[in-house]
Amino acid sequence: MTGTSLRTYLITRLALVLPMVFILLTLVFLLLRVAPGNPIEAALGGHVPAAYVHQIERRLGFDKPLITQYGDYLWNILRGHLGTTITDNRPLSQIIEQNGAATLELTFFAMLIAIVVGVLVGLVAGRYRDTPLDVFGRLFGILVYATPVFFLGLMAQLVFGVWLNWLPTSDQASPLTQALLQTHTNIYFIDAIWDGNWGALWDVTKHLILPASTLGLVTAGVFIRLVRVNVIRTLRDDYIEAARARGIVERRVVYAHAFKNALVPVITIVGLNLATLLGGAVLTETTFNWPGIGHELVLYLENRDYVAVQGIIVVFALVVVAVSVLVDFINAYVDPRIRY
Amino acid sequence: MARSKLRWLLAVLTVAAAATVAVIVATGAYGSANGAKSGAVLVDGTTGTVVNIDPANQYDYDSFTVDLNIFQGLYGFPHGATLQPVLATGCTHSTNLKTWTCNLRHNVKFSNGDPMTSADVKYSFDRVQKIKGDQGIYTLLSYLKSTSVSGPYTVVFHLTAPDSVWPYILSTNAGYVVDKNTFPSNKILANTDTAHMIGTGPYVLTKFTPGQQAVFGLNSHYWGPKPKNGGLIINYYTSSATMKLALQQKTLDMAFQTFTPTEIAAMGKNKSLTVHSGHGVVIRYLVFNVKRPPFNNINVRKAIAYLMPRQTIATRVYHGTVEPLYSMVPKGLPGQYDAYKSLYGASPNLAKAKAAMKGLKTPMPITLWWTPTHYGGASSDEYVEIQRALDASGLFKVTLKSAEWAQYSGALGKVYGAFQLGWFPDYPDADDYTVSFYQTNSFYNNGYSNKTMDKLIAKERAATTDASRYSYLKQMQILGAQTLPTIPYWQGNMIAVSQKSVQGIDSTLDAAYYMRFWLISK
Repeated sequence: MTGTSLRTYLITRLALVLPMVFILLTLVFLLLRVAPGNPIEAALGGHVPAAYVHQIERRLGFDKPLITQYGDYLWNILRGHLGTTITDNRPLSQIIEQNGAATLELTFFAMLIAIVVGVLVGLVAGRYRDTPLDVFGRLFGILVYATPVFFLGLMAQLVFGVWLNWLPTSDQASPLTQALLQTHTNIYFIDAIWDGNWGALWDVTKHLILPASTLGLVTAGVFIRLVRVNVIRTLRDDYIEAARARGIVERRVVYAHAFKNALVPVITIVGLNLATLLGGAVLTETTFNWPGIGHELVLYLENRDYVAVQGIIVVFALVVVAVSVLVDFINAYVDPRIRY
Repeated sequence: MARSKLRWLLAVLTVAAAATVAVIVATGAYGSANGAKSGAVLVDGTTGTVVNIDPANQYDYDSFTVDLNIFQGLYGFPHGATLQPVLATGCTHSTNLKTWTCNLRHNVKFSNGDPMTSADVKYSFDRVQKIKGDQGIYTLLSYLKSTSVSGPYTVVFHLTAPDSVWPYILSTNAGYVVDKNTFPSNKILANTDTAHMIGTGPYVLTKFTPGQQAVFGLNSHYWGPKPKNGGLIINYYTSSATMKLALQQKTLDMAFQTFTPTEIAAMGKNKSLTVHSGHGVVIRYLVFNVKRPPFNNINVRKAIAYLMPRQTIATRVYHGTVEPLYSMVPKGLPGQYDAYKSLYGASPNLAKAKAAMKGLKTPMPITLWWTPTHYGGASSDEYVEIQRALDASGLFKVTLKSAEWAQYSGALGKVYGAFQLGWFPDYPDADDYTVSFYQTNSFYNNGYSNKTMDKLIAKERAATTDASRYSYLKQMQILGAQTLPTIPYWQGNMIAVSQKSVQGIDSTLDAAYYMRFWLISK
């Protein structure tokens, strides 16, 4: 009975994804068309006679009725043809592969930092409730959560890059490392290990510290509060009292029993925060000149590159949807009460 | 007990953090480490975006900066702003300027060792015309009817109309010579296809990562003098502030295009950096739709011409990185004449502005349009100064409006009565700064049409000597200042910033606006 219910839940959940993605694709298409200007005018206006601009617009199909353009757009997505950007002739697949890998690298390490900092600080704050440690933990969590990510990034660049000159303030690696590193996965950290190039690995790591910490700390603010609350609540549970009554040492009570249970809701939040992380990545990438997909999205938006913006948002949407479905599935598997 | 364990844990974490910081500091004070020894490779930064490297579809300055290192044309600007033969030894023309015969330099090879011959030149031009790339560079060859060859070292261009500036067209990227064995005839090469991106220039493009980096090695088959560095890397930045930080941290050897005036002023005070400045050819001007009230009244345009605060803009907004401009043609180009200075004076003249507006209701409400996203952040300050000057005269009440470039560039004269534009030339000659603006049906749809001007343009294009051509160009500049479809107001300097150890930048800052990286060493 439980197995059937879970399967039904999963199928229903997946079915709900389709209308969600369809609505998003339609909204993206319409919003881009509603904004004044088009990519051809943005690229050639102010330099080439209007007749030539119109010629190129016709060649690229921008003169077709909107409904026809919409139909072509949906048909291409269904076939997996995300197309080529208008402004710089890059296949979308190349952008996803190359810049998507850079975003993956950044968000992975940012999430790692978010989890480590968030869980540790939250645990200490919850364990030592109403002590200076708790106050510090809560203030720290609020501060990093409330600070705009680009401001945090600028401050980090100023302190660690300019004043102390300890860390680089931009890019994935130094120019020579970028030039010489063989790209196998487009994730420089992995590529450096792949090549056994330890100098490059250290260079890449130093470049990762500031952007990953900036993005990670902002997300850690959420985890700090959640972990703290869960630890406090869990420590009040009857089974914890029972464990103490049985004479189990406090350290074991906290870390072996309470802590593990307090972390269960955090898994859900980690998945749901992926969308926030991707959004923060756009600003972080722009601040640190990190060549991720968010950084490209900003540039293509400015140039009204319909193909690029549509393609990138489709990818963002599919990633977020996939992760949220996975999180829902894990929760449903763990908690049999979660069903439609 | 628990507290002592916590203290122990905190102590361990503190020591670990301190050790990590110590390692970071010891291996870098980041600025000196940089991950690898640089040797003689020059590292440049820019805020540009490369659109197409293939010359058949390249029509923006940032893509041109890449191409300049890899490709060459029959003519070019190898030294200074004087046009000279490069892959050609010279060209002659028929009496009617419709047939141009060019003799090629012998023993030139492409970077892959293939010999360059007339067949490659013909192939290159045919290719541009056939592909008709969406960036529009093929429009520069609008006069070219066909290209033929006469032996391996002679090329003949057949034009549809007389064109005295044809050698200048040969210097543009529309005229770059590519290897017929590596470039497809009917499509554009992808930017990352470095294996086929073969030219005769001093460098070879070895790696291109879009939006991040272009890496150049030395061309071992190069026919000219060896570059003064061991290679070149151009790093791309979205923000000039980030690029400035990279320069200060010594990640970059130099940076060219584009810092804000405030950033340039700040770096000028930095003892470890050098700000290099030379004559540039970028201009900024105000365009009027001469059919749209109130700008359809020439007296209104004259009053604005008398009041234009050029020096204030140059000093207060741009901190001296631009200079006042009194012609659509920038100083430094042959044939330039300060027509606006002789007609309207070097400084604002309120009395003459008032005289021009006599009989008109004042203050006259007018709207000036500008764009914040294409010409840099100083545009808003620029237009505030113009507004201030016009309002202070009591003759105008100015409303400023702006639109993002994507919207702005499509509107221009179709929608706006008076609007900001800038210009970077296709080729650094006065012709490109006059014909483009003054011909009937110019690209900005401002309704300007003057038969006398059209005749002057035709005569200039058919001129067989420099003296007669410059004479027509002077007349065009004077007529343009008299009829006022536009008002130019500044000409930008060519500015690069470098580490103190970098040499040779000053030798490449001239009106050709070429950054000749091969002349730069460190």
